[in-house]
Amino acid sequence: MNIFDDLNSIFREVFDDDTIEVNDSTTADDVDGWDSLSHVNLIVTIEQRFKIKFGTKELLTFKNVGDLRRAIERKLSGTGC
Amino acid sequence: MLIKNNQYNIGHICSTLQCEKGFSEKVAFKFITSKFQEKFYTFKELDSYSNQVANILQILDINKGDIVFTFLSKIPEQFFIFLGVLKYEAIIGTLFPNFGEEALYDRLSDSKAKVLFTKKSLYKKIAKIEDRLTQLKYILIVDIDEDISGKVLSYKKLLNHVSDKFVSEITSPETPSVLHYTSGSTGKPKGVLHLHKAILMINQTAGEILQLNGEEKYWCTADQGWITGTSYGIIGPWSMGVTQLHFEGTFNMENYMRLLSSEKITIWYTAPTLLRMLMNGEDDFYKQFDLSNLKYIFSVGEPLNPEIINWSRRVLNKDTYDTWFQTETGAIMIANRPGMAIKPGSMGKPVTSIKGEIISKSDLREEKINTPGYLCLKKDWPSMFKTYLKNPEIYENKFKGDHYFTGDEAKMDEDGYFWFIGRSDDVINTAGHLISPFEIESALLELPEVLEAAAIAVPDPILFEAIVVFIKTRGNDSEELKLKIRLYLSNKLSTVATPKEVILTENIPKTKSGKIMRRVLKAIYSGQDAGDISTMEEF
Repeated sequence: MNIFDDLNSIFREVFDDDTIEVNDSTTADDVDGWDSLSHVNLIVTIEQRFKIKFGTKELLTFKNVGDLRRAIERKLSGTGC
Repeated sequence: MLIKNNQYNIGHICSTLQCEKGFSEKVAFKFITSKFQEKFYTFKELDSYSNQVANILQILDINKGDIVFTFLSKIPEQFFIFLGVLKYEAIIGTLFPNFGEEALYDRLSDSKAKVLFTKKSLYKKIAKIEDRLTQLKYILIVDIDEDISGKVLSYKKLLNHVSDKFVSEITSPETPSVLHYTSGSTGKPKGVLHLHKAILMINQTAGEILQLNGEEKYWCTADQGWITGTSYGIIGPWSMGVTQLHFEGTFNMENYMRLLSSEKITIWYTAPTLLRMLMNGEDDFYKQFDLSNLKYIFSVGEPLNPEIINWSRRVLNKDTYDTWFQTETGAIMIANRPGMAIKPGSMGKPVTSIKGEIISKSDLREEKINTPGYLCLKKDWPSMFKTYLKNPEIYENKFKGDHYFTGDEAKMDEDGYFWFIGRSDDVINTAGHLISPFEIESALLELPEVLEAAAIAVPDPILFEAIVVFIKTRGNDSEELKLKIRLYLSNKLSTVATPKEVILTENIPKTKSGKIMRRVLKAIYSGQDAGDISTMEEF
């Protein structure tokens, strides 16, 4: 499993939708139900599953799933700030 | 003139009448998709498309007075369907697109809805409960080309078979119109039923408070799943021939600021939570946006804290006016407004023809100035709800003598301004949405891991109140369970039911009669003294 597969599973779990397929350009407007509250659910789930933590300011920089994926990869490789 | 020939039909007034007044070619709304594609709809189109909806109901043999729901995001069909159902004299209910399947089931089954309009991506939630909705005759999906079954039909296909002409029958003021569900302190959410005559009060307040007139460019950010989205995102502005902006996309600080500027919005009606999120930006960020057209910002849903008023004055150079109303009141009842000095943190004063009063908690008489009591309204204003669907006793209990008891506590100062203090019940106001602890606890008890559950409201800097749940488990406490509970509530009920915190506990304090002592839980959470606990059950 790569990060993308894990991320896709998390999206499906958080939004309770087995048909979701995310890619780097997916944004909140592409997923039904992705509002500010479900965004918190998404972040909490990602943090718990990948055992990482995002900073508050860092969260504001994510414009799409690609930004999120790259941030996860940086943290997992130990180069994240 | 709003009412001609005794015609109170909201659908007719918001479209056909506007065409008769000469606004056929005027833009009723500009729709901007989440990808920033734009489309304009004139009042003539609003009239024709809503006529088609009324004709669809006719060929499906739906009766007047039947209940029809939309479960849609903010797309143009939402508006055509809303008005078309009303033209047909059926009752229209709107469901928040982030509702989960249990919230949907509660509302659709309780109301015995006959028809549901939805879209393909949202139908997935309905499909999970469809078998249990035995009274639902048709599900019309707006974005499929072919019928799925004899019950699940293509809306587009039906449009090909109906005329865009429809003459609304003369609708009496007492005819049922709009249905919204709201949470009370006990039991499941209740259906708040309104009448077509509500348009009188909505129209009046859209002018008197929101300062709308035919020249304005107006943006109401509320979702149509809530009363603000229907009263002031559809009925109020279109009953006055006002051009609206409707934006499909979700909140994003830059996009919202850009739209206010590029669309030359003159009047903006939004919510404190959204304004508080907007306040996250650095002051300099806002300087790039030309807001010279924006005259007024109005806010609704939760108390507008003085920090927002001060911020909008300092950073946007605009005043922000707080307005107060409820699903039950149908229209704004108490408000700050241009031309009246703002007392930051105050709800403002009652609108013309509304008498607000503070009633003493001890003897139910009018309370003294600056003394907290029950916030009440003198009953029988035009947009007052007609009943709680199937709950007439609870409806009656909301009234004592001439007064409607709002469930809020407030005080009135020497100048006649009202000041919100809190709820007189346990209902949680999170981001302007009311949710009952009972609803959350009932859902939690369906999880096999949960033995007991309690939900409370805690103050929150963004949401006004956030939900915290206390859970006594069957002995499998873990971080993974906390996450499961969080996602479960979000998906089964609604994203607005998502708890800020899940606390696993050994015991949930209850009275000897088994009632959850939320007061004690709030004290425990905030680290304060729990006060008198003599009635508490011993652990």
